[in-house]
Amino acid sequence: MSVFADDVVTFTSMLKMAYNLLVGNSYLKRKKFREKKKLIAVALPFSDLAYACGAISVFPVRMQIFEINKYLLALGSFSSIFGWKSITNVLGFLKKLEFKSINKTIDDIIDDVIDTINKKYNQMYDLGVESGIPTDFCYGIKSLYGMYVAKGKNVEANLNFTIRCSAWNKYLESLKTIKNPAKNIWIDVPPRNIGNSLEILTNNFSKAINELEDITGITCTDNRLREHFTLRNQICQHYKTIIHEIGASDFYPSNPATFAEILALLTISFHDYNSNVKRYAENMSSLVNEMKERIRKGIGMECSKMPRILITPIFGGWEPKSHEIIYELGGRSLYADWELLGFLENINVSNNSNPIEEYARFIMNISSNKMGCDNDTLTDSYLNLAKKLNVDGLIFFQLFGCHSISNCYKLLRDKLRREEIPSTALTFNKIGENVEQVKTRLGAFMEMFK
Amino acid sequence: MTVELLSNYYYYLKEKKAEGKKIIAHMAHDNIPEELIDAAGFVPLNMIFAGNDELMNSSHDYLPPSTCSFAQSCIGLFSEKPNNFDFLELIDYFMVSNHCVSDICASEIITKYFSIPRLNFYISYTLSENALEYYKLELHDLKQQLEKIKGSEIKEENLNESIKRYNNFKKKLLEVNNLEIKGKTKLEIFQKAMLYGPDFLPELDTIIQNSQPQRSNNLKELILTGCSIFINDYLIDLIEESGGNIVFFDTWIGDNYFSQIFDDAILNSKENPYNLLLYRYRNNVGGDHMVPEYLENKVTKLEKIIQNYRKKTGKPLGVINHIIKFCDHISINSAFLKEKLQEKKIPILNLERDYSRANRGQLSTRIEAFIEMM
Ligand code: SF4
Ligand code: SF4
Repeated sequence: MSVFADDVVTFTSMLKMAYNLLVGNSYLKRKKFREKKKLIAVALPFSDLAYACGAISVFPVRMQIFEINKYLLALGSFSSIFGWKSITNVLGFLKKLEFKSINKTIDDIIDDVIDTINKKYNQMYDLGVESGIPTDFCYGIKSLYGMYVAKGKNVEANLNFTIRCSAWNKYLESLKTIKNPAKNIWIDVPPRNIGNSLEILTNNFSKAINELEDITGITCTDNRLREHFTLRNQICQHYKTIIHEIGASDFYPSNPATFAEILALLTISFHDYNSNVKRYAENMSSLVNEMKERIRKGIGMECSKMPRILITPIFGGWEPKSHEIIYELGGRSLYADWELLGFLENINVSNNSNPIEEYARFIMNISSNKMGCDNDTLTDSYLNLAKKLNVDGLIFFQLFGCHSISNCYKLLRDKLRREEIPSTALTFNKIGENVEQVKTRLGAFMEMFK
Repeated sequence: MTVELLSNYYYYLKEKKAEGKKIIAHMAHDNIPEELIDAAGFVPLNMIFAGNDELMNSSHDYLPPSTCSFAQSCIGLFSEKPNNFDFLELIDYFMVSNHCVSDICASEIITKYFSIPRLNFYISYTLSENALEYYKLELHDLKQQLEKIKGSEIKEENLNESIKRYNNFKKKLLEVNNLEIKGKTKLEIFQKAMLYGPDFLPELDTIIQNSQPQRSNNLKELILTGCSIFINDYLIDLIEESGGNIVFFDTWIGDNYFSQIFDDAILNSKENPYNLLLYRYRNNVGGDHMVPEYLENKVTKLEKIIQNYRKKTGKPLGVINHIIKFCDHISINSAFLKEKLQEKKIPILNLERDYSRANRGQLSTRIEAFIEMM
């Protein structure tokens, strides 16, 4: 049974995001066929240009049909008539009446959401391997390839950003081997910020924008870009508030497992802003308000005695039971990959700026200063965030087959040791495969804080 | 042969150092403009040494075992310091480059944990016009890094000179490539040549002059593609013992290296020498670093080689795609390459392996079965 579902009742925005994540298939179908919108596939949070060009970004797993818990489905239908606000009231009211079956149902909903997503990820992983990706590659690449095999034909194009990870770049190339491949729009990000690299990247973006415009038939004006960036800046601001203000505080608006669960869902949904930036921005704003409101009312959990553990990286795959296990062991978990890699930084939208160049500056900062073109820079990003969040420990997911990020652990451990931040590395291959081992390792790790 | 090769190499490098030259090592495959290093008066050292269990194991203090076995072994060479590898002590700088991310990680570890000063040279992943612009920036940056070490400017005429030297050297290797000699002999020449660079030219001349055709009628003829066979690797022996003969090395140690030449018209066009390097980079479409056309280019190239060979000799060729375990570049497309070649009725074996001794038997069986099937 979920340890956190009780809290979710009052986080309607979280229910909404979870619902939007799961009903992507019908939502995207409607957008594509009825509203004639163009779908652009993205993985990693590189969706901004597509939105600015009038397309809809989609993280490919969302084109899947998920088995949605019937109650969540009912809530979704109810919400389309009465709005989500009323759902909170109804659930809260029912909960107050302490109907056991109602509480159980709510638990089931949230459990189901998480399980459903994870099961789908694992299915896509299997499909990726069946379709030719060698098992030696990381979980993320195998499952992403599976996602494209399953549904990639529904998008007009894939937006391919090269990054420092060679497996990633080669995986992007391999998308062409899928039957009925979509067009590939490449953005070659210069590996280092030297000379006029920024100009080169700006020019690469201009070219990608031209290709996107050809697809959507919409001209991507500076104003469109600024409008989109303004919205995504708001999203990032809210996201930062959740991580830094709330996550780093000692009173959480929920039990810490719920809080970690929200951070995990944000990590997944941030790839494509659930295919609707405005809606996502509104949900993020309500989420922050809901959290603040609870804190103001003293609803939540005092957790100053619970060691704060940063779990990272998770975006390429991790064991999602980790935060529950840590909670049971008396700790609290934080997930903050996108902050760590610089994806939550502001993009300058001032009128006298060139928005394409500002976006190039933003991406260049990620690639050169955060992800870095070597592990020294990358490990500094981990260290800086760990210090900024004042964490008590760091758990590093070392993905089988990841030759890029996972390879930095030795260097990171050395740096963390110098700062006296305990850390441990957990190996990961597939969701659910190693839960017992994770439990044992985390048990040993959390002993350190007793 | 290897012991002698490595020990002679030690003396060669020592001499170079005595002349005041710096030794600059890298594992960046076919992407490093060696001519620029040469023009600075320095010696490029290609890290082209195969591994073994000990070398791989000793790298696990730094990297997880799911890292390419070649990169693991490169680190192992510095931590284990095996006999005959004393020349690694002579390295003055190590180049961190992004041929692949294992190159970045291993090179970075070597510079950091074994205290070797670092140089940087990164390249884009595509061959677009802007990627070429970026390449210019990196060339310029490398030039500055080298000039800082040298303490003076690298003159264009010196670079032109170096480009010519390397061009002649690579042309000679192309001649070796056309000799009718056994694959192992050819490979050893290539490996030695890539250690010594153009200084090996006189020896190459002698080899070519004295070469006698080696008949290999009862051996099945093969192309090696994918990962290189590095110095001291038993794989080439296994292939020959199993009844195969590599007639074409479509790898970094092989065609990817020496096919990067300029014809005389271009060489004498009085182009700025940096443009020549740029021109070469643009034409390296077969390099495994590149996206998004690598797979298509590879299929086209292999098909062409096979057709030409059949025209010339009337014989078919099979393909061994050598995949060093956890190699991002070669591994990910291996199933697709196989599918595409099989569609064209070209026999192909995806041969994945690490450097452990325990693998030998299994590799032999797979190669034998493939050759039998051919
Ligand atoms: S960095 Fe690691 S987890 Fe991410 S795509 Fe590359 S190999 Fe996979
Ligand atoms: S063998 Fe492959 S993974 Fe290893 S260094 Fe070479 S290209 Fe990189």
